[in-house]
Amino acid sequence: MIDVKDLTYSQAVGELEGILRKMQSDDCDIDSLAAMTRRAAELLAECRSRLTATDEELRAILATVNPQQQQ
Amino acid sequence: MIGSNEITSRHDRITLLQLQQRVQSLVAVPETQNVWVTAELSDVAERGGHCYLELIQKDHDGITALAKARAMIWANNWRYISADFQNQTGQRFATGLKVMVRVSASYHPLYGMSLVISAVDPRYTMGDLLQRRREILARLKAMGVLEMNRSLDFPSPTLRIAVVSAPGAAGFGDFVNQLYRSNDLRIRFTVRLFESVMQGEKAPRSIIDSLGRIAIQADQWDCVVIIRGGGSTSDLSAFEDFCLAEAVANCPLPVIVGIGHERDVTVLDYVARERVKTPTAAAELLTAMAAGHLEHLRDIANGVLRITADCIGGAERQLALAGSMLSLAPESAVSRAQQRLTGALLSLGGISSRVLTPQHMRINSLLHGMHSAVGMLLQRRTSRLASMAELLAALSPEATLRRGYSITRVAGRCVTDASSLAPGTEIETLLKNGTIISSISSTSQTEKS
Repeated sequence: MIDVKDLTYSQAVGELEGILRKMQSDDCDIDSLAAMTRRAAELLAECRSRLTATDEELRAILATVNPQQQQ
Repeated sequence: MIGSNEITSRHDRITLLQLQQRVQSLVAVPETQNVWVTAELSDVAERGGHCYLELIQKDHDGITALAKARAMIWANNWRYISADFQNQTGQRFATGLKVMVRVSASYHPLYGMSLVISAVDPRYTMGDLLQRRREILARLKAMGVLEMNRSLDFPSPTLRIAVVSAPGAAGFGDFVNQLYRSNDLRIRFTVRLFESVMQGEKAPRSIIDSLGRIAIQADQWDCVVIIRGGGSTSDLSAFEDFCLAEAVANCPLPVIVGIGHERDVTVLDYVARERVKTPTAAAELLTAMAAGHLEHLRDIANGVLRITADCIGGAERQLALAGSMLSLAPESAVSRAQQRLTGALLSLGGISSRVLTPQHMRINSLLHGMHSAVGMLLQRRTSRLASMAELLAALSPEATLRRGYSITRVAGRCVTDASSLAPGTEIETLLKNGTIISSISSTSQTEKS
């Protein structure tokens, strides 16, 4: 299984959608369910962290794009 | 030199109003009434049903104003003119357009010069600006690039934004402010400003250069945002530029254009991936797209959670059922086994009493029988032995010797035939008491009867 860090966002979301489809379609096998849920959680956390930032991170980013500081 | 005598001595002096009235009458000549005039619209605004605006004529550079006049369209005319203009041109009668209007100059002692517009010829506007725009679009279409940027998909997610704008401009500030400070979702946007001139004739070249710089590092960005603040928009014609439109259409990244307000449309709005009214709206569009991605993630998370919960719940119910059965199962199994054992024991007892007792009795009687049989046998044998012992005692050599018989032996052997013995042979004679050793002098045979 590829490390989530090495996936593009689209690949990660694609894998998530695949997992969800599999969980929805298969007659729920509790052994594979645990593995699928763990992987899904990992992918979700990675996608979220790429989409969103903490307040501190945002402040740091904002400091680099402040129009006053550009001048 | 102005002296008080001079002033007081002037008897031909007039009041300001009188002067203004002279100007008024000079202005109101046939040559200034109902004249068709070409000009550019600026600061068009509607108040109380009337339309107030400025007519401008610019130099060839498109920047320097050569002439400017206040103008208005009274409400009774405005209703018809605005509707007709929009019908004919597909455009609102708005700032930045070149128009041909029929005006009458008037002069008011209080408000000064103004032009009252009584008619507008939309064909002129179409023939100018829109016609130019159509030509640009037709050229781009012929080149096959018209739809190129419009057909690009926004990357998933669109977070790295290359902004083309003027440094320090309100437009860029509004954009950044909306993107970060109003960012409740804390979307991780990255923004860099590619500085450009956004007004006047230098704008197209400058923006094209910025787009070129972005294209070189296109892999570092997800989209391009071209924004400009509001304010006077009479120089939007700078954006009606073929090369600029071509550069936007050819941009490898999707372009969002927000260079004015709603009423301002440029050719870029037809070639860019998205057009928005304001820089703030551009930021809102980007935030909404990212929010869509977050929403999608939330949906997936909820789906996974629901299925997992359903599945685990089902398994738990199954386990609980099995558990409740398990707690009962051993007890019942043990009691069943006990019952079986008891039954076996009981039947075993039955078997022992039914089968063993007769056998016991039989063995006992056998033992008893054997005992008495052996006793009788022994008794018989003992008495027989006793009579045999008596007979044996009567027949023994000792008893014969006692009756006067003797036994003759030669070399330890009993002698029963005298003929086998030679004279001189030493013989041993056993008596009841003692032994005689003697030598044979002669032998004789006994007559056989």
